[in-house]
Amino acid sequence: MPLRDVFLPRTLDDLWDTLEQRPESMVYAGGTDLFVRLRSGSIAPPSLVCLERLNEIKGVRDEGEFLFIGAATTHGFLLAHPLTVEHFPILAKALAVLASPPVRHMGTIGGNIVNASPAGDTLPPLYVLDAEIEISSRREVRRMPLADFIFGPGEVLLGKGEILTGVRVKKLTNENVHHYEKVGLRKGQACAVASLAALLRLSPSGVVEEARLAWGSVGPTVVTLTEVEHALTGEVLSHDTLKGLIPLVRDNVSPIDDVRASAEYRRIVAGQLLLRLQQYRWGGP
Amino acid sequence: MRHPAGHKDSRTSKRSPDRYDRPLSIGTRVPRIDAYAKVTGREKFAADYYGDDLVWAGVKRAGVPHARIEGIDLKRCREAPGVICALTHEHVAGTNRQGVIRKDQPVLADDKVRHCGDAIALVLAEDKESLERALSMVSMDLEPMPGVFDPEEALEENAPLVHEDHPGGNALLKGELQKGIGQAAAAECEVLLEGCFETSYQEHAYLETECGWAQQDEEGKLAIVCSTQTPFRDRMEVAEALGLDPVSVRIIAPYPGGAFGGKDGVTVQTLLGLAALHSGGRPVKMWWGREESFVAGTKRHPASMRYRLGAKWDGALHFLEAKLFFDTGPYDHLGGVVLTLALEHASGPYRIPNVKLEGYAVYTNNPVGGAFRGFGVPQVTGAVEQMMDMLAHRLSIDPVELRMKNALRRGDRSGVGKTLVSSTGLMECLDVVSKHPFWTDRDEWKSAAGPFKRRGVGMSAVMQASGYGPVVPDYANAKVELTQEGKIRVYCGVVDMGQGNASTNLQIAGSILAQTLEEMELVLPDTDRTLPSGSASASRCSYTFGNALIGAAETLKRRILQRAADLLMAQSADQLALVPGRVRCLGTGRELSLERMARLMDETERVAVHHFRAPVALDKLAVADDLRLHGMPHTLFSYGAHVTRVEVDELTGYVEVKDYLAVSDCGTVINPQIYEQQIHGGVAQGLGYVLMEDFRVTEGAVGTPNFATYLIPTAPDIQDIESIAVEIHEHTGPFGLKGVGEIATNGPLPAVSNAVADACGVRFDRFPLTPERVLMGMRTAEHGKESREYQLQTER
Repeated sequence: MPLRDVFLPRTLDDLWDTLEQRPESMVYAGGTDLFVRLRSGSIAPPSLVCLERLNEIKGVRDEGEFLFIGAATTHGFLLAHPLTVEHFPILAKALAVLASPPVRHMGTIGGNIVNASPAGDTLPPLYVLDAEIEISSRREVRRMPLADFIFGPGEVLLGKGEILTGVRVKKLTNENVHHYEKVGLRKGQACAVASLAALLRLSPSGVVEEARLAWGSVGPTVVTLTEVEHALTGEVLSHDTLKGLIPLVRDNVSPIDDVRASAEYRRIVAGQLLLRLQQYRWGGP
Repeated sequence: MRHPAGHKDSRTSKRSPDRYDRPLSIGTRVPRIDAYAKVTGREKFAADYYGDDLVWAGVKRAGVPHARIEGIDLKRCREAPGVICALTHEHVAGTNRQGVIRKDQPVLADDKVRHCGDAIALVLAEDKESLERALSMVSMDLEPMPGVFDPEEALEENAPLVHEDHPGGNALLKGELQKGIGQAAAAECEVLLEGCFETSYQEHAYLETECGWAQQDEEGKLAIVCSTQTPFRDRMEVAEALGLDPVSVRIIAPYPGGAFGGKDGVTVQTLLGLAALHSGGRPVKMWWGREESFVAGTKRHPASMRYRLGAKWDGALHFLEAKLFFDTGPYDHLGGVVLTLALEHASGPYRIPNVKLEGYAVYTNNPVGGAFRGFGVPQVTGAVEQMMDMLAHRLSIDPVELRMKNALRRGDRSGVGKTLVSSTGLMECLDVVSKHPFWTDRDEWKSAAGPFKRRGVGMSAVMQASGYGPVVPDYANAKVELTQEGKIRVYCGVVDMGQGNASTNLQIAGSILAQTLEEMELVLPDTDRTLPSGSASASRCSYTFGNALIGAAETLKRRILQRAADLLMAQSADQLALVPGRVRCLGTGRELSLERMARLMDETERVAVHHFRAPVALDKLAVADDLRLHGMPHTLFSYGAHVTRVEVDELTGYVEVKDYLAVSDCGTVINPQIYEQQIHGGVAQGLGYVLMEDFRVTEGAVGTPNFATYLIPTAPDIQDIESIAVEIHEHTGPFGLKGVGEIATNGPLPAVSNAVADACGVRFDRFPLTPERVLMGMRTAEHGKESREYQLQTER
């Protein structure tokens, strides 16, 4: 890799100056995705700006009804944080199977979002949690739903001079099923071949009162299917109910063939992963 | 000559903070001499050699699988900043050919390209960045030629030839063999099963990719420090290819950072040597990147195997037929030897009166097939051990019982008719398995599967030959020195690529000379300092070198004691004993330090050498001469039996290995820790082979160019592996040992496949068993469609 300048601003004001002076720079935090691409030569920015020393966008802030997670917060920090575990077990479950401890130590939630891989492990949980993201530039701070921000693999609505500064997630109150399953080709350091995040409110008798579902790696972005959510709502969380929804899932995901798995396999698995939810009917696995 | 930069003269044991201060002995868990330095990053590998005024060398590779070289334009490359020189085959003064049996691999391609990884031009530059830039400026005029990518198609009449000058066409080696009445025995079988199996490539995936460092001194001596298993063979190959006198080439071999067979032969050595001849005396470094290692390095041969196995109703094996196709790629990187070992093991560790074997190592324009732990045996064990399970199922006989009924015992004849004269402990291994809870409690364990899980238990029996076979001499020359400082220095002739044989050498010499690790020193292989002792391969290192070392250590011991007896006025050497750092007269208690002894001894007395050559098969078998040359038959075998318990997920097809047991007969255990590590490592590599290592090649091009796409197991993917040693003394082995380096890698593919078949009732014929393959297989079976998996047929 050729040598290049790397800037390490310590305040947002320094960052805005750097971005103005070096507009061709690429911005990163942990670098766990960016450096792979740099090494392969698929990108060759003249300089880099690293966000890892910007304390303003690191850490978790309790905002009462919401939790604000700074974009440069590492997965490892988040996974160990009591507020994550208390309010967002579904996110904690996804973080626990994201890559490996070294990558979790470097990689950040902001990076996972901006990288916008359909296989990004934090994305399906953040979709079902209706996460809102915060984008900042020197001039303004704007917010939008995560699902609007990502519009394709690696494609996000981030303008010149803007960075993602954080994620705001509403604390959960009534949901009692927090499910995340990742299908990888091995246990550690695996890229999801398919994944399912499910957030449900179940009545004591096992009836689904509310359902949010999101699939990873079976479309250009995370896939949410409101028809499946609606169909599930009001039903008993039984094998038959779930099995009946499989065709709907299969028909509405749009996976690709790649070296890891065929589209057909992903389509089948995306549907079948629903069946795992029945274990929660009697109180979980 | 002076030593290359930073090459340490000797390695002492003063590196472990956790001192092990007892006299060394056989059968004890002596800490590995290399462990502390390796885990703290202090060990100097070949990749760690730099030095002042360093030149970087790199190779431009073809990128196409088969082409005629019309021209190589180096003008722009040579003019690029930082370039020292750029070389082609025209700069190679020797034969420009490398290889072990058939020397068919050019150092730099001359007339044509035979695979994507062929080296076309060698560039020397001031730094890595200049080198990379310059390599991109090499312009090649390559006229594409039709390629051959399928071994069976390559054998067809009009297939394009990989080597136009090879008399056998694309068949590098064809092997045929019959035992008993061969195929005619098929009609005598009461049950006859057929099976076809296809195994994939496996990449060695060592931590340290191929690398080295070289420099030519003022007197013209060329020193090459490299990551290699074969320093003495490298010296001859480099000299011949480059047109040098072997005496002017010195190969220094630090511990490789993993090798597994992938460094059994020349990788960077000749290129580095050539570079050092053109660097104006400056040191040169070459270090392949991971992607380059994937493209240019060798792989485990993919195999296509067709089997028939016949038996009597009582389970007595009667007939086995195997037809093997091994894709050896464009060069004989031991491909013929690999095929021959596969043929020798194709019938498994069983007594089978009638056998018909046919095998081909086939040239293609795919990546180079070569040596890899197990050396052809994992492929055929995968096939024959699944056939055995299919037979057990067909006959409703317990799989362990079926194997016990047919297991080879000492005095039996192997599948190729070799009478087994060395220790043969397969029955003992099977006996342990049959009584182990993984086996005895398997029904109970299976019935406890959770929702959407299917559990299965599978086993396999394995054997692995060691040594080079009847023709190529399998020898070692050990050297032990009492240094002037009174230390015992062991000169290792065989590389320790991680197996731990360097430590074993100290343990053997130390136990004979009654010294602690503190008194021991080690010199790693170096063609100028240690003695020729063959390659680090074929499960032979501790067996062959260990036998030589016993002789050298005993000789030195006798000399020290005799001289001390004279000095201490003892009646004879019998009245003296060696103790750590000293010699003691047992009767009087008088002592002399080893340092004192060293000063009182002449330089020539302080060094003892001993030669050992491994015994070979004396059987007169009807084995063709070229199969004999390629190593058939062997005379020394290790054995084992493995059991695994797996859980298959019905929703995803993911196979999880929950438990693994490997029972092994590798003779006496010298160091239980090193023994276990060999078993654990072999099993882990075998689990990768059966579950996920899926090296893809399309039209000769690598489809899995890196670790993001070619998956190997991570720590959480490997469960604890239980290893039980069945210690049967092998009378020809040093202290009774046999080779343990390879055998364990043969077990997982069949054991896991048998367990998966047990779990979901589906037998797979292609590997690895990825979740997709397993899920699709289960669905096909459930839908009652014609199975696209193997066809199970009974002919009667």
